[in-house]
This record gives sequence, C-alpha cells and structure tokens, in this order.
Amino acid sequence: MSDEATPGMVKITIDGREMQVPAGDLLIAAAEKAGTYIPRFCWHSRMKPVGLCRMCLVEVEGPRGTMLTTSCTMQVNDGMVVHTESDVVKKAQEGVLEFLLINHPLDCPVCDKGGECPLQDQTVSFGPGESRFVEEKRHFEKPIPISDLVLLDRERCILCARCTRFSEEISGDPLIEFVERGSGTQVLTFPDEPFASYFSGNTVQICPVGALTATAYRFRARPWDLQAAESTCPHCSVGCRISVQSSQNQVLRFQGVDVDSTNQGWLCDKGRFGFEYLNSPDRLSTPKMAGDDGLQEASWIDALDAAASGLMSIIDEHGPGAVAGIGGARGTNEEAYAFGKFLRSVVGTGHLDAQIGDGLEPRLLAAPADRGLIGDLEKASSILVWGPDLKEELPVLYLRVRRAATELGAKLVVAHPRRTGLDDVATHTLRYRPGAGQDLLRRLAAGEGDAGAALAALKEGPTVVITGLAGLTEGPDLAEAVAAFGRDLPDATVLPVARRSNVFGALDMGVSPALLPGRASAVDDGARATLSGHWGADVPDGSGRDTAGIIEGLEAGAIRAVVLLGADPAVDFPDPARASAALAGAELIVAIDMFESVSTSMATVVFPALGFTETEGTVTNLEGRVQKVSRLLPGPGGARPSWEILEDVATRMGGSIGATSAGVIATEIEKVAPAYAGATWDALNTAFGRDGIVVPTADATQPIEYVPVDRPSAPVQRDLVLHLARVLYDGGTTVQRGLSLAKLAAEPAVYITPQDAHRLGVADGSAVRLSGGNGSAELTARFDDSLTPGAVYLPFNLGISVGSGLEVELEALA
Amino acid sequence: MTWSQKTDERAQAIIARYPDPRSATMPLLYLAMHEDGHLTEDGMREVAARVGLTPAQVQSVASFYTMYKRDRTGRYLVSVCTSISCMLLGADDVLAAVSEETGVADGDTDEDGLFSVEHAECIGACGGAPAVQVNYELVEGVTPEQGKALCAWLREARPEVVLGDEMQELFGGQRSFEWGPSETAGAVGPFPAFEPYGTAKEGR
Repeated sequence: MSDEATPGMVKITIDGREMQVPAGDLLIAAAEKAGTYIPRFCWHSRMKPVGLCRMCLVEVEGPRGTMLTTSCTMQVNDGMVVHTESDVVKKAQEGVLEFLLINHPLDCPVCDKGGECPLQDQTVSFGPGESRFVEEKRHFEKPIPISDLVLLDRERCILCARCTRFSEEISGDPLIEFVERGSGTQVLTFPDEPFASYFSGNTVQICPVGALTATAYRFRARPWDLQAAESTCPHCSVGCRISVQSSQNQVLRFQGVDVDSTNQGWLCDKGRFGFEYLNSPDRLSTPKMAGDDGLQEASWIDALDAAASGLMSIIDEHGPGAVAGIGGARGTNEEAYAFGKFLRSVVGTGHLDAQIGDGLEPRLLAAPADRGLIGDLEKASSILVWGPDLKEELPVLYLRVRRAATELGAKLVVAHPRRTGLDDVATHTLRYRPGAGQDLLRRLAAGEGDAGAALAALKEGPTVVITGLAGLTEGPDLAEAVAAFGRDLPDATVLPVARRSNVFGALDMGVSPALLPGRASAVDDGARATLSGHWGADVPDGSGRDTAGIIEGLEAGAIRAVVLLGADPAVDFPDPARASAALAGAELIVAIDMFESVSTSMATVVFPALGFTETEGTVTNLEGRVQKVSRLLPGPGGARPSWEILEDVATRMGGSIGATSAGVIATEIEKVAPAYAGATWDALNTAFGRDGIVVPTADATQPIEYVPVDRPSAPVQRDLVLHLARVLYDGGTTVQRGLSLAKLAAEPAVYITPQDAHRLGVADGSAVRLSGGNGSAELTARFDDSLTPGAVYLPFNLGISVGSGLEVELEALA
Repeated sequence: MTWSQKTDERAQAIIARYPDPRSATMPLLYLAMHEDGHLTEDGMREVAARVGLTPAQVQSVASFYTMYKRDRTGRYLVSVCTSISCMLLGADDVLAAVSEETGVADGDTDEDGLFSVEHAECIGACGGAPAVQVNYELVEGVTPEQGKALCAWLREARPEVVLGDEMQELFGGQRSFEWGPSETAGAVGPFPAFEPYGTAKEGR
C-alpha cells in the first residue's frame, strides 16, 4: 500500500493491519468492511448510532494514551490506531455481556431467536462464560401483544432501542418507546394505542434478542431447521429482496435482505407476513370445470381438452379477435411471456392486457424517457410525489422517499386529494379535487400562488418525480401530464409507478395491446416482423383492446372468450360490478389461478397454478430492475406452472409456445426481447446477484422511448366527487387468505370533510347512502379534514363499490 | 375530555416560547397534572396532540421523571430521602414511621386523598440527613418521632400552604447549613408550581 491515501479515504490501523477506509465512516462500519467484525447490539447500519449497549467498545490510541470508546459513535480519522482484541477490550466485552445478562432469562431452548440470536452468539464468542450475579432477574408478564402481528417479551429485552429507533427514524410512527427508568426501563406502547405500523415486522427482524416475536412465526420452527432461498417479494412492484424460509414444505417466514438498490433491508408487513396465503387450504390443487352445480373437480386431460376445444370453436366461429387475455402481472416474466406468446401466436389475438383498467399508458410504464431509479432518491435535492399514497400502495418506496426527505434533507412536494403518509415529512403539500388535478398542475407549472414555493423547490435538481394514478376515478392522463411536467424540470428523472407486483415485467413481456416483448411497439411493423420471425407465427397488429376495451367488447359481444392469468377483474377492475357483469356474459372463460375468485366462479375451466416460491423465474420492478425469484417448495398436489398449462392448451390447439421449462422461456426472452438482452438467469445468479439488472443494459437496445404527453382536459366540476384509492390491507386474495393480515382490513367507510358533512346533515360515524356511477351502498361516514371540500374518499376493495365514476351523491340516512 | 380554556391558553403560551413545539413537553406535563389532579392517560394524549409527539413518546418522558405523578396523589406528598447519607442516619426508620402515622405505604396514597408517601432519591440535603420533603418543601434532621409528629400536624392543621421554614422550626433538627433568606411562598398542593407556567399559588 502506498503512503498516499486515496482522496476520500483515510488510513487507519486495526489490530496491526493498516488499511484505507472511507473518510467519515463510523469505525464499526469501516472495520467491518475491512474484515474486522466488532460485536454490537444497538448499532444497525441503516440507523443512526446511539452508543447504548456498549458492546462495540474498542481501544483507540490517542495523544493521551489509549482509551476505550464505542466504535459505533467514533468516526475514523487519518492515522487512527485501533485495537479490537486487546486484553482491555476483551475484559470490557466480558463486563458488558455480564451486565446485559443480569436480567436476560436463559430460556434460549424455548425462544424463537435461539440459534440465530446475536446475544446468544456474541455471548459464546465474547462473553465471560459465567456470571457473578445471583440476584433474582426482573419479571414481566410474557409475552404481551403490542400489535396484531408482534408480541413483546420484556424479560428478554436488553434495551438496545433498535425497535424504538426504527419506529421513529425509519418508519415514522413512534408508537413504542422506553417507559420508566433505571432497572424498571422497558419498551411499551401507550395503553390502547397498539404498535399498528405498516412496518412493525421489521422490529422483529432487527431485535438482537427474542424480545419481539411475530405471531405468524412464533414456535413454528427452529432456525437451523429452516430452508432458505433468496427471492423477490411478490406483493408490489418495488421488488424488495427477501429471504424465503420454509420447513416441511411450508413457507414460515419472509425476512428482508439488505440491498442498496431497493429495500435496504426493510419490508412492509404485507410483504413480510403476506406468505400465509401460500399455505392456505383454499389453494386450488385440481382443475375445475363448470357443471350444473358450479365448478366441479375435473381431470387435467378433460380440462385441457375443454379449454382448447372451447377456444378453437370460438376462433372458428368468430375469429381470433373474439378471444382476449387479462392478467400476467402477478407471476414471473417467464409466465407473462408465455401468456403473451400464447395469445398472440397461438390464438392470434391482439387483445391482451396485464393492467386491469387501473394503470397508466403502458408505454409510459415500460419505457419512459428519462426514467429514474429508486436509488436516485439518495442524491435528490427535491422530490415530487404525485400519485398513489405510497405508504398504502408501495410501502417500501415510501420508506425510501421518507429517508430522502428526513435523513438526507431533500425537499419533498406531495400532491394528492387527501392526506398521505408522506405529508408529515413533506416541505410542500398540494391538495386537489379529483377531476381538477390538471388545474393544479397548471398552477404548479406556472408557479402560481401557493404552488410557487413548491415549484421553486422542484427547480433545485437533481429532482425525482414519482407519478402514478392517485385514485381510480381519474384517468391516466393526469399522471402522464405530471410525468411530462417532471421531464421539463431541470435535472429531473421520472419514475412512473403502478402497484401490481410484476406489472412492469408483464408489460415488458408484451402483455399489452401496445407493446411487444422487450419494450418494442406493437404498431411498429418492423418489430412485429422480427418477432414473427422468431415465433414462426403472425403477430397481430397493435390495434388490440386493453382491459377496459375488453370489458366493452364483452358487453358488445365482440369479445366472447377470455383467458385469465392470475387476474380477478370482477374484483380488481375499478368498476368491479361492471366487469363482473361483462364476464358473466362471456361464452368461455379459461382461468389459471391459485385460488377460486369471483372471476373464476364464472369460468368454464379453471386450472390450478403454482405460485410464488413454487416457480423459478424473473420479475421486473418499477424502475425496470430484473431480479430472480426462486423455487423452494413443490406447491399443492395437482397445481402446475402457468407456462406449462398454456403450452398444453397450445398443443391441443395445434400450436406450441415452445415452453418446455421456465429456463427455456428465459433463454428465449433474452433472445427475442430487445431490452432484455444480457439479462440472463446466469447473469442474475452470479455476476449481479442480489442487486439484479436494470434493463436495458449498456449492451442492449430499447426499441422505444416514450415521451409523456400532456393532454390537457377541462376540469370536471361536480357538487361531490369521489376519490377512490387503494389501501394496504384490503379484500385482495393475498391479504384475505392469510390469518395474520385478513383481520387487519379496515371496515369500509366513506370519508367526508366536516364542511360537506354539515351541509348534507351528516354526523361523524353516522349511516349514509353513497350513490355513484354504478350502484349505491349504505355505509358509515367518517370525517376527514384533509380532503378538499367537495370530495369524498372511499377506500377501494373493502367490500363496497359504487362504480368508478367521478360524480357521486351522498345522503344522510335517518 | 379536553382541557379547560385557561389551561389550553397557558399551553399555547408555553409552546410559543420554543422554536419547536416538542420542547414544551415537560412544562405541559405539569399543566396536565394540575388540570386532572395527576397525570392521566388523557392528559398525556392532550400534551401529545399539542406538541406533535405520539402519546407513547410523551409517556416515555413522563415515566422517566418521578415528579410526574401518574397515580392519584394526596394533598400532602411526603417524600423521605433514602439515599446514602439519609439511609446511614436512619431514613428507613423515618419512612416506616411516616407510613405508620399516615397509614400509607411507600408509593401509595390514602383513600381520602390526604397523604401520599414515597421514598425519594437524594434531595440534596445530605448535611441535614435524614431529610424529608412535604410537597417538595424541605425539612432536615428528622427523627422517626418528628416524622410522625409532622404527619399528625399536617392531618390536624391542614395548612393551605406548606412552608419549609415553618416545618423545620416545628419538626426539624440539624440543618445542612443556613440556606439564606426565608422562602415565604411555600407550596400549594403536591405538584411543583411555576410562575411562568401560571400554575403557582393554585394548587388543587
């Protein structure tokens, strides 16, 4: 090593070894990067240091001799000489552990943490072996629930404050804190105010002892019995890295994996505990066919024959354009690709969509110009979030934006029809009535009035603009106009978001009337010809219908058969009643799913599909990052991979999609989909690993780059307009089929401003009738002073729907 | 439950003194005690809502300090110091005598709400150990008998204002040193009162 330190680096000596480490690093972090592990309990690399537990004491040489200091609160200095294994340090470590164990019960054999417990492990490595303390340990009721998902055993707690600091620093809902003091200190919630955080499960993972345990995992397994595979969370399009852990062919838990690019170690509770649906007894395990008495179990042969002959007779009679496909956004890229190829090349239809009428312009999602990365938030000076309430729809992206706005000091502008999870940390909050968003956008672009300060903030680059559908009563034009506005800001990147887990992957695989695999345009004759060459079949032109168009087609009789891949339009379409009625009129529905649903109840044939943890493949997140998902479990009895089902149907129809394995499909994707060149399983498994690959890579070409268009529309003025938006815990399959999450879904209610309520004679908590574009419902009214007057808010998919029209009426019921 | 207009106005005035509302947490906790007679859950919620913290955070502060009383507290709060100097000079006996005379165990309050008894950590009167406080007014050099007599006097005389010097004269012994000019304000009620918070001379 040369004597000159590299710029930005300093030279330090740890245990006689000289090394260069980044200037400004904490000693504990620098040492770890350089290969010296200093034991710790309270310090966590993603949170601020506190120096509470004293476990990381080291000796640092200074002008007044060596001194013991906590390495988690000490920044490295040039020339620093550190000892981590001296006799003095060892004595200090033994002393700290002896103190920490004064009150810690020795119940490791019955403790869930036993076997993966930092206290247990570090006591073995650094502890004194025995204790001089003979006094009675302190006793508490054990354990007490601090939320529906997390239990607290205060006897085991060593007061490191990781959980309380997480709740304040990271998730921003400090509902747990130290209470009492001295030997009485304990972590507690306020009485009757549980730790109802969307992120509570993270505290279980970072607890260095068994004090915090999750109801979903308690007493289910010992850590050494678990099988684990790294994968990508299937619940939203952020694409958090997770470790899937199972025992005896049951998924038992998901743990967050720390990657810089996406989740930084954290998960939301829907992601963490949303594995239980996989073990649900309701999982489909045999094919089913419609009989006189609803769906009846059927053999694979009969079901495949029925699906193939049903599709063929409709094609014969009405042409391939009478068949449509919806879905593909819940599975892997390989499954979506197989779905698109089946529909386009075997059926010959261009009516296919992975979005369910609740998304954006597909080209904007798949290939936006100046697309940003989640990581851009780390260096952003300003951020505009104009879209869904990220805390409800993309929770870990919420954590990343929150971190940028608090820890990293970015100026945050939030525009939404009502209060969002980010408002507390926003520099500017802008509110608008659904239907009048473009008005606000024009005022923001012009810097008029209260929007002037927000515009000034956004002109400080680098800027990240996150945009998406704020509510389901508004069309996609507003989000696109926001993207266009964002693109015009100096030094800005744009991150268009949609929520469904692999919707970006499915669009990239061409499950959209406008797109071909690899971000090629379906109206591009050249691209269609190339694809047709690969497939050896004609590729329909780009005039196909999206989901809304397919629903219209069903209503008009133009579409007669629908293939559903992991999609339930009868629940997920913004106007579920309309979708349900349209599907009921279909001559043939072939559904591939893990569960029966409202949509499959109308199906002619339902095939049981393998799902997450049961199939291998790749997924693509909202920034275009391709990541692997792993297969760990066999899945229920008769269920099969979706691509295999599609191949079998294709064969019976006299065609083939060439799907002999997921790996073979992946190889084909790499070859056929231009933007995915180079994103092979091999590359993902080895060279890039857990960070995945952002496509297109430098060696690939992306055929289209979509420049968002501002399509101004006249503001819609109505007496009362509806804001219809999703919440994290709703009536969705993955929530309702799991024991832990199902009970967290809120009771449906309609939210109204006190002013409007007064005008309409409605009291807080009283019964009202809400009438919308398609239906009306009786439900409870709740006051929400964060709404713009003249707007009411109804959470989507909590069992109440009045259609997705903007205009609603509300009347008080006696 | 919400606070009275007077308390609310005082709270707003205190909050206005600080650049960050959360800095007003501790003064507001005194207001909450004066409002409800002790620090109730509702009181902590009121403070939390005003200073922009969660109730759990307010509870964390409130439970750290012994002078924030989260249980019903009597009109006379008798605190017997049991830290080292007082302990060596018989504070445990003084505490036992006080408990016996009042019929109130350490850390408890009687049914009538007249007495609360507690042991206290060092109250800074080691030179005059064993020391006792009544509503934080100091009496030094207190023997078990004097402690009993002090409590009996409080029960009989029911002074509106408790004055340290007066109690010292009647029931005290050796003092640490001359504390300077007599403090004439005294204490009304078991909670510390502060002129700037508007709680002085009010008691309960």
